[in-house]
Order: sequence, then C-alpha cells, then structure tokens
Amino acid sequence: MIDARRNRRRLAVAVLAVFAVVIVFSIRLVDIQVVRADELKSVAGTNYRTDTLWGTRGSIVDENGTVLATSVDRFNITAAPINVDDRGFDRRIEVDGARKTVRVSVMEALQEISDITGADVQQMYEALTADRDAQWALLVKSIKLAEFQAVVDLGIPWVYSEPQPARSYPNGAIAGNLVGLMGTDGPLSGTEYQWNDCLASDDGQVSYAVSEDGVRMPGSEVVEDPAVDGGTVHLTIDADLQWFVQQALAEQGSAIGADWGTAFVVDVKTGKIRAAADWPTIDPNDLNSAGAEDSGARSFTAPYEPGSVIKTATVAALLDAGKLSASTKFTIPAGYTIPGVGFTIRDSVLHGGGLHYTTAGVLVESSNIGIAQMTELMPLQERIDYLHDFGFGSGTTGAGFLGEDEGYVRPAPSDAITSVTQQFGQGMTATSAQVASLYQTVANGGVRMPLTLVEGCEKPDGSYTDVPDPQGTRVVSEYAADTTMLMLEGVTTQYHLAHVLAVPGYRIAAKSGTAEVADGDGYGSDRIVSIAGAFPVDDPQFAIVVTFAKPVTMKTSAAAAPTFNAIVKQVIKTYRVTPSTVPAPENPLFW
Amino acid sequence: MSAATAVRLPQSAPEETPRRHLDIAPTRAQKRARPRIYAALVAVGGIVVILLAQLLMSIVLADGAYRITSLQREYRDLAREQNAAQEQLEQLSSTQNLIDNATALGMVSSGNPVFLDVANGQALGTPAAPSGQVVGTGGNLIGNALLDGSTVLDPAAIAAARNGDALPSQLSSTSQPGVAPVGGATGTLPSPTTR
Repeated sequence: MIDARRNRRRLAVAVLAVFAVVIVFSIRLVDIQVVRADELKSVAGTNYRTDTLWGTRGSIVDENGTVLATSVDRFNITAAPINVDDRGFDRRIEVDGARKTVRVSVMEALQEISDITGADVQQMYEALTADRDAQWALLVKSIKLAEFQAVVDLGIPWVYSEPQPARSYPNGAIAGNLVGLMGTDGPLSGTEYQWNDCLASDDGQVSYAVSEDGVRMPGSEVVEDPAVDGGTVHLTIDADLQWFVQQALAEQGSAIGADWGTAFVVDVKTGKIRAAADWPTIDPNDLNSAGAEDSGARSFTAPYEPGSVIKTATVAALLDAGKLSASTKFTIPAGYTIPGVGFTIRDSVLHGGGLHYTTAGVLVESSNIGIAQMTELMPLQERIDYLHDFGFGSGTTGAGFLGEDEGYVRPAPSDAITSVTQQFGQGMTATSAQVASLYQTVANGGVRMPLTLVEGCEKPDGSYTDVPDPQGTRVVSEYAADTTMLMLEGVTTQYHLAHVLAVPGYRIAAKSGTAEVADGDGYGSDRIVSIAGAFPVDDPQFAIVVTFAKPVTMKTSAAAAPTFNAIVKQVIKTYRVTPSTVPAPENPLFW
Repeated sequence: MSAATAVRLPQSAPEETPRRHLDIAPTRAQKRARPRIYAALVAVGGIVVILLAQLLMSIVLADGAYRITSLQREYRDLAREQNAAQEQLEQLSSTQNLIDNATALGMVSSGNPVFLDVANGQALGTPAAPSGQVVGTGGNLIGNALLDGSTVLDPAAIAAARNGDALPSQLSSTSQPGVAPVGGATGTLPSPTTR
C-alpha cells in the first residue's frame, strides 16, 4: 500500500520537474526569439561574412600552347583611414637579440610602402587624409606578389589589401594585332572581344560565419555560387613564326618607308592561318605602344585595291571555263583602249607594243594589256561570279576575325573601265586575308577552304567547343588551279625578281603586285606593293602573302620580294618542308 | 406468527473475504540484482561522458576550423606563388627574351635550310652561309613591355668568351661521352664534333 502511494508521488514529481524544465526552456526561448531578437540578430549579422570567389579569365594560346594572353594576380593596397592613429603605431623589432618597440609615424609608414612599390608618398597621404572617417581608401594599385608580400610584412595596422586580377601578354607585341586589347571594364577588340564568351569567368560567392578572431566557424561555410574559370582559346598561329613575320615586315617596312605592312602564312590544305602579321603592331601590355589606327589588324579589316596579285584569279577562271590554255598566244600592243570610253590601259613597264606573250607570259610579266585582252573572252557577269567565288566582295574569309571586311567587287552592270580593271585588281578592293585565301584556293587544286584563326575553345574540364569544321568549296577545276600554279612558278624562275624570290631547291609559285592607290583626286603616286604565292609547287603546303602600303624609297613589288623570300625560308625551317624532288617543267613566256 | 407471514428473507450474500494483496517476495538473488544506486550512477556517468565527449568534440572541431583556415590560407598563398612563378616563366620563355639572350650569346640564324635524310645519309637542299644575326641591325622590333632588356646571362662570361678565353675546365668537365671537346680554332663557330 505504502509502495503504490510512493510510486504515484514519484511520478508526480518527475512530471512536475519535466514541466518546470519545459517552462524554463520556453521562457528562455521567448527571451531569445522575441525579447532580445534584434540585438542577437545584429550581433550574428556582423559575424557573418561573404567573400568573392574569383574566377580566372581564360588564356589565349597559339598552335603549340605558347601563352599569348593570360590572367595574372595583382593586388591593390588599401587603407582604413578611420583606423589611422596620428601618433603612429608601435612595431616590435628584434635588434641584436633584444626585443625593442619602435614607434612608426604615419609618414614613415607611407615612406616604407613607397620604397617597396614606388608609389608617390604625397598622393598616398592625400588619399589617406581625404576623409578621416572613411573605412576604405586606395593607396597603391595593381602591384605584383613580391611587392604585395613585402607591404604585408610591414605590419602596418591600418593597411589592407584586395586582389585585383589583371591581364598580361607574355609575348608582348607578338600577335598583338590578333589577341586584341582589354580595358578596365572588359575586352575592347580582337580575339579578347570576339571570344569573350569563351574566355570570360564567373566570380562566385562564399558565405561563412566568423568567430571573434576571424576564424571561420566550422560547418557554417555556404558556397552560394561557385566560381567558374574561363576557357582557353586556341589560335591556329605559330607564335615564333608570327614573330619572324612581324619582324621581317618591320625591318623591311622601316627600310622602304612604308605606312603599314601585312603578311599571311596559310596552311594550304586546311586553311589554318599560321601567321597573320600587321606592322605596326600594338603591344597589348602597353596601350601607348602604337597609335589608335595601328592597334587593330589591318590584315583582316582594311580592304585596299590589291593590284596585279588578282590576275591569278582572272587567269584561273578563264582556264576553268576553257577559254585559255597556258600556251595561248597573245600579241601585246603598246596600250589597250577600252571600247566606248577612250580610256587606255598601259603596262607598268612602258613598251612599244608587239610583244608576243603566252598566257604564262601575260601572268608572269604582269601585263595589264594582256589581262584586258583576256576580258573579251568571258562575259562580265561570269567574271564577277568567279571573283565572288574566290571570295572577293561576297563574304569574309571564314576566319571570323572581329570586324573582318568583305572587300568590294562592283556588281554588273559596272562601268566599262572597272569591268576591265577589276581583273587586275584595280577598281575592286580586298583584304590581305582575302588575297591569302585566293592563293590558298589556287594552291589547293581549286578548292577554297574557309580560313580558320581559332582552333576552338577549351573549357576548364578539357572539353572543346566551337571547333571549326571547314568545308571546302570548289572554285575552279584542279586542272585550272594546277596550271595556274605552274605558270606562276615562272615568277621565281624567269621574272626579273626571280633571283630575290627563289629559294634554292624549292619550287615556289609567286605573283607580284604593284597597285595604284586612290586618294581624293583619283590615283596618285602612292603604291601598295605585294608578293603573293604558294610553295612547294609539286605539293603545295603554304600560301604566303606580303603587302606594304605606300612605300617611299621603292615603289614596286621589288620592295616586298626580300620579305617574301625570308618568310618562305622561315616557313621551311618551322614546318620542315622538304625540298622539291621534281624539276620545274618547261614554262615558255614568249612565242 | 403464522408461517404465511413468514417472509422469506433473502439469503444474505456470502461474506466476501477481503482479497489479500499478494506480492511474490523477491528472492535474495533478485533483490541483489536490482542495484538502484548503480543504475543512477550509470545514468549520471553516462551524461558526464556525453558532456565530456561533446566538449572534446567541440575542441577538436574548433581546432580543425583553425587548421582549415590556416591550410586554406597556405593553399591560397602557394597558389599565388605558383601563379607568380608561372608568370615569370612565361616572360622568360617569350620570343623576345630568347632573342635578346641568343643575340647576347652571339648566335646567328642559319642560311638556306638543309635537311639530312637519315635513311640514305644524303643532305637535301642547297646550303648557304649564315645570314648573320637573328635580327637585323635595328635589333628586335617586336616590343614586349614586360621585359626590361636584361638577359639571364653573366656578362663576364660573355666578355671572356668574346676575348677567346675558352672555358677549358668547364668544357672538359661537362662534355659528354662520345662528344669531343671543342677545338680552339679562332674565327670559326665552336661546335662539338661527334665520333
């Protein structure tokens, strides 16, 4: 009896105790959740921190992975003016094994920063004192890691830092025309701009609670948004070859006093651009290294009247249509008067007429009169169609360079003069890239491959996107293309520039061009000179075009010939092109 | 009293004997098997152990948090150092820097390209004399703002080499088996001869 009653009492006590605990907890809960809620929330808020996870902008690399543009770490040194104590701060140093305390004044501290970074003390002092209550002031912008670490090691209590990702171009002006420029707010031009979707990174965010001494609270870390690195853009060019081509352009361009120069090396079979050089070229590291008009790539964006290098297209078209053969006989008079307008076309070298040229002779000796006679063999619309098929005035080369120009061929019915002169590259315009594309087509058996400058975008996980899949289109028959190549070989064997252009052991097809440049009042004395060609003739592998605008000391294509020769030799070395094994066949220029 | 008036009194209900509350008396062994104080001790001890474990755990966690923070910082610093080294490497391997160094060493570019066909031991191509320096008299014209013009070469060693002071001790010590040391003929390009 007594036992049962005792049990009941015990139970009651336990229940009461539980209730008491519940009540105590409830009171505490109300206290925390309602009474002190605001106070606690503000305390918790200050201990919660959000950091930016920096994504890295992708690199631009060449065919072999040589880095042309990359992202580097830079640091800004900042300060909290509100924490600056005018009396300075105490620094504990060790001198001869004895610990000492040294007082460092504000100016002394700034001087120390200046000694490391080279920043101006006065400017830093002004930034520091502009608003004494500010939490943030910028002292030094964009310094390298070693300097940054040295500043941090100074242990100045009011100095802070922030990462400042920057862009660097380790190869300087090599391919600066193709890589393009980065501004402070993003890409400005070139591949940096055109391929920004591939290169751009996404910054992420991480949030975490910190204890009073700044350590992350375990388990509180929340990655709200992971950083995504940018992809790598692979260019088709070879940086070393690009350097050589740029250097060759610069040396010859300065020597002949040209305004600018461009050069292309194109892989004939694939259409891949191995070098696309402009002179002058900007060094993207230093935006003042070239003028605004020289900061892009004229080779893609600036069309000009290319002149005689276009004769190759005219002859190949007529061969394709069966209107000509290599040995068709032409009698060249002193001038060719265009019927109806009374305009007379002459050759660049004046002669008295009566010259007996074969088709090869007209092409190699670059007779405007001979080409004018050939225009009678084919209706205008067909000739324009052929020029369009070769890529002139009908679209870009396929390289997809930012702002690439399409050139211009006047549509039919064009005026009587242009309908003739366009067949030798006057009265129509083309970019250097389009001229390179013409010689790629002829060297590739008449199949035009779209030029490619970018091999694709490599994502951080190693997968590739935007890989080009160039599909060739036949422009002229293989017979027409190969015959044209054999005729062009005469330029390096029989033309007056042959001794400059030839490389012993190699069969090279080339064509000279000396175009008149139109200014406000028609054609003046300025010239755009070029040599375009492809080699080896027995197995064409590379098409090369060299162009100089408005040379002063030498106004003929002879000015471009040494550069063409130098580039051919360099291409041979770079790609180990073996010498030709079959001798050149007979190629009579006269009859 | 007649019998008719007799009332049959209900039989009184049989008296219920109060039921005895019966417990089975625990045996001595059973009594011993119920050590109440021991159970309490176990409970309290358990709570203490749990509390201690929790304390230790939080100590370890906090310690881990500090360790994570310091390792993350170390990782960040090392990544920055790697990036800086990579940046320096890319600058040093830039074409312009290599040209500066090659030119300082007196290297020249070859003339006409010639190939050696290993299959039949024949040379293909027409050789020509070296065309001179890698770059023309104007020097390298393709700028690189990242370089300060200094080379990684020791100027003293170059000057010594220019003066014809070969470095015999170094050469003999570094020459590989099968590669004869360079003969000191003046006016020619030094090149090792293979046996």
